[in-house]
Amino acid sequence: MKKPTGRKILTVRNLSYSYNQHPVLDDMSFDIEEGSFTSILGPNGAGKSTLINVLSKVLHDFEGRITIQGNDITGLDSGQMARMVAVVPQYTVPGFAFTVEEMVIMGRFSHFSRFKSIGNRDLEIVHEVMEKTSVAGFADRRFDELSGGEKQRVVIAQALAQDSPLLLLDEPTSHLDINFQIEFINLFLKLNREENKTIIGVFHDINLAIQNSGRIILLKEGRIFASGSTGEIINRQNLRSVFHSDVFVGKNPITGKLYISPVFDTSYSPALQGDRKKKGVSRIHVIGGGGAASPIISLLSRHGYRVSCGVVNTFDTDLATAQMLEIPYVTEAPFSPVSDDSRDKNLKFIRSSDVVILPPVEFGHGNFSNLLSVKDALELGKKVMIMDAKDIESRDHTGGKATELYKKLKETGAITVNSSGELLDKLG
Amino acid sequence: MRTTGRIIQYVVILIAIIVVMVIVAASIGPAGISIKDTAGIIVSYVPGLNMLVDRHVFDPGDIVVISQIRLPRIFMAIMVGIALAGAGVIFQGLFRNPMADPFVIGVSAGGAFGAAIGLLFNFGISVLDISFTTIFALAGALGTTFLVYSISITRGKVSVITLLLSGIALSSMLSAMTSFAMIFRVNDLDRVVFWLMGGLTAASWYKLAIITPFILVLVVTGSFYMRDLNIISLGDERATQLGVRTDQVKKILLVLASFIAALAVSVSGIIGFVGLITPHILRLIVGPDHKILYPTAAISGGILLLASDTIARTILMPREIPVGIITSIVGVPFFLYLLKKSKRQLP
Repeated sequence: MKKPTGRKILTVRNLSYSYNQHPVLDDMSFDIEEGSFTSILGPNGAGKSTLINVLSKVLHDFEGRITIQGNDITGLDSGQMARMVAVVPQYTVPGFAFTVEEMVIMGRFSHFSRFKSIGNRDLEIVHEVMEKTSVAGFADRRFDELSGGEKQRVVIAQALAQDSPLLLLDEPTSHLDINFQIEFINLFLKLNREENKTIIGVFHDINLAIQNSGRIILLKEGRIFASGSTGEIINRQNLRSVFHSDVFVGKNPITGKLYISPVFDTSYSPALQGDRKKKGVSRIHVIGGGGAASPIISLLSRHGYRVSCGVVNTFDTDLATAQMLEIPYVTEAPFSPVSDDSRDKNLKFIRSSDVVILPPVEFGHGNFSNLLSVKDALELGKKVMIMDAKDIESRDHTGGKATELYKKLKETGAITVNSSGELLDKLG
Repeated sequence: MRTTGRIIQYVVILIAIIVVMVIVAASIGPAGISIKDTAGIIVSYVPGLNMLVDRHVFDPGDIVVISQIRLPRIFMAIMVGIALAGAGVIFQGLFRNPMADPFVIGVSAGGAFGAAIGLLFNFGISVLDISFTTIFALAGALGTTFLVYSISITRGKVSVITLLLSGIALSSMLSAMTSFAMIFRVNDLDRVVFWLMGGLTAASWYKLAIITPFILVLVVTGSFYMRDLNIISLGDERATQLGVRTDQVKKILLVLASFIAALAVSVSGIIGFVGLITPHILRLIVGPDHKILYPTAAISGGILLLASDTIARTILMPREIPVGIITSIVGVPFFLYLLKKSKRQLP
């Protein structure tokens, strides 16, 4: 990312646009800095493409004020607009069989005079942008015979031939294979960095947008829901509010950049939850630690059970899972033994549960009290299920204390299960 | 530049073909006149070249036949051909549809209705020596176009689909009204039918002098918008993004092409297929760039109609058949052959 100069190339104030009395853009205001790369994100119908069409003055009956390089765009004709703003659309379907070169030359239209033929300078630029987009090799081929990715290269060349400081991208890669998506994103980044093009892009793929742009504008129902740096904007709450679906936001271990991945929650249904209540098992407490509880709590919550978890340390994977699934949990400071306070909270959860599950957790002196809590659960008359997937001796780091108690639990009524399938069966 | 160079190259070739064809066409006919005499007579009328030949060496009858009968008709064929093919290129470009022709938005049906009224209810009047039929046909053609155009314009934008549909709808209604009018004048039916088939029999220097400047000015004006038309064929939105004043240019081109087609219809009736096929044939030869396509197709339209009209008036000598029949019977197979053979296929 090239450092923006701080000068504003585009300002939008109180922009509204209605289509057949239906508001599509609703009172938007934002600025775009020269040399920046901004991504516009939002679900279908949020107004992304309409915004691109208004900014390029394809739609001109908007309310509010838009200036580009200080000029109010209402006073600009299409030629002046085309010299300042170039658009890369999603698709281009010419009515006739133009060649690649003919298509790229069309990008120079706004620089031509009606009564003059194309000049040498225009041809130079056309060849330059054809080299840049690697289409010079097939300049004489017919556009309609090219592959989708090659076509889009030509259209990018067409937009670059406009020689405009501002480049708008309207989902330019959404119908292309991954190799072309990567190629084009790299090309846009290069244009941004090396040629100081200011880029505003609408992207369908959130990951594609957050890998590259410095700034995100998140749209919801025609309004700006949030805007700022990727780190500020891309989080689970924002994405859920805007897209109405659950995502996991993580950090790419190689690039250090954020990435999102959807949480596929197909088996969850409120109806299923009602069913569980009828059968008498609705609340389950899972003993956590070292990530051993994660698969079980996500399985159970997917199946409609109300799950709680504890006691886990602050940096534990099980805690992250509990937070992501938004289930109640008891947590302890990192690398500290379970305090009495935490143990009490944990017991509170156990008391209000129908079943307590002990996954194959590793036990040390720090979390030995979790095992004691299981014993308490048995004494309270709770149904206790032990996941016995891994031999207890191998995960006992207490010098035998844990093994001893574990065996005693099994003898005093805890049910042993060997797989998650068996667990679900026995829960009923 | 390369494009300009190519245009000049093609235009020179096409004009050379026209010159040869004019001489050949003028020599063919019921009164057999040799090519040499024909060329001599024609040259004697060309300003700047007329001192080269002495007109008095030719047969006075031949001079009259060529100068008063054949040449006006030949030039009328060329002008109408230019008009139809030029309008055809513009309509196909605007509609982004290779099936569009100059009659697509009702020019022919409107012209036919006007002509039918003029022919059937012969008021026996003429303005500036132009027959009532011609004036009524022009009024009908332009009136229909205007109506179709005003139906399909909303908030300053012309909807191409609405234009096409309302053109088809209005054409059907006008054809029905033409038939309805014909019921009242069954005795004059043949005149209407002949007009509908299209022909250049009524050509005269006077008519030519009135119509030529209009057609040439309109066709040449159109040529300044061909770069725009190239880009409009990518779609209105994309054209606007690339800097074309799409709405304005579309209106200009629609008005130009409608006027050009209406003028052609008013003097020659409905001559089909020239406006549809000529742009296609030329697109296969010169490519889709309208800057090159438009001038070459227009001139080729003149060549095609001149050739067709020459066949039409000589194939069943001394009888004439309407040229519209020839354009369709000869033009279509030739076009299909090119379509099949060409590597430069349509999209």
